Amino acid sequence: MNSLNELQLDALTEVFSIGAGRAALSLSEIVGDEVRISVPSVQVISSNDISSTTLSLNSGRFGAVSQNFSGPFNAEALLLFTEEQALKIVSDMMDSQMSLEELAEFEHEAMCELGNIILNACLSAMADILNFTLDSSLPNYTVASADDILMRLKKNTNQPYIMILHIDLAIENQRTAGNLVFLLSSASLTNLVTHIDQFLDPIS
Amino acid sequence: MPVDSSTKTLLIVDDSKVSRMLIRTHILSQRPEWIISEAACGEDAIALVANDLPDFCTMDINMPGISGTEAAEHILANHPSVKIVIFSANIQETHQERARSLGTILVAKPVTEKSIALALDYFDNAQ
Repeated sequence: MNSLNELQLDALTEVFSIGAGRAALSLSEIVGDEVRISVPSVQVISSNDISSTTLSLNSGRFGAVSQNFSGPFNAEALLLFTEEQALKIVSDMMDSQMSLEELAEFEHEAMCELGNIILNACLSAMADILNFTLDSSLPNYTVASADDILMRLKKNTNQPYIMILHIDLAIENQRTAGNLVFLLSSASLTNLVTHIDQFLDPIS
Repeated sequence: MPVDSSTKTLLIVDDSKVSRMLIRTHILSQRPEWIISEAACGEDAIALVANDLPDFCTMDINMPGISGTEAAEHILANHPSVKIVIFSANIQETHQERARSLGTILVAKPVTEKSIALALDYFDNAQ
């Protein structure tokens, strides 16, 4: 499977921008303020080529929300923020008067909810626009080191392709950056590309 | 070539080529006689409008450089005759209000037959 061409990546970026817009609308209803989420770029690479730079995984610990999606293609999706950024987001989502210890109690639940909103908004935009149906599992939240995450992505030989969306999230004017990563098998990537081509065909 | 009075000109502003292709295809299926031009950012849109005034314009919000709302504000301040529809995935109330205050409407992406019908309806009634 060769990499996606410019138009296919443009289509995916547009699909995910629409997903991000939907997620921002839901999140703004939770935090009661404007939320901005943008997806500046989408990349599809082989998991062998993944490095800490690709995912801006510098050091420290990361909060990862994972969810499995199944349909015409299957994917494991991971939403990654540094743990510090994750706690900031949780604080925005919850009562911001809470102490850090109190916030930590809600971290798991709030991050699962955030992941659920962002992942499902992106996947549902993709399903609506590219015309297919996807089912999702319940979200799971773990905190792991950059090395653990990289190891997990590299070792997953069944899903050798990785689609990376760089995400900018701003809640109440506090900006955070994260990554949304999809792990895809070769067959799943081929099916996804077929659906993108079917979408592009009538307008090209 | 004499231009028929039903021939309108539309400028599509969107940084996504796919999005511009979608808008163009849907519009031309409804209004095959329209003449369409494209810009990939707000700055180019402002320059194009100054050179060749379109009747209508569709404007994305999130683009590199100035935002679509800023570009729309600039265009309307200098060329109030242009009717602008803002196409965006960001449909939070603040954006809807901003669009209304500029004298435009905000239509939710994705670009579909339905969203294009809303834009065409606005253009038709604005004439």
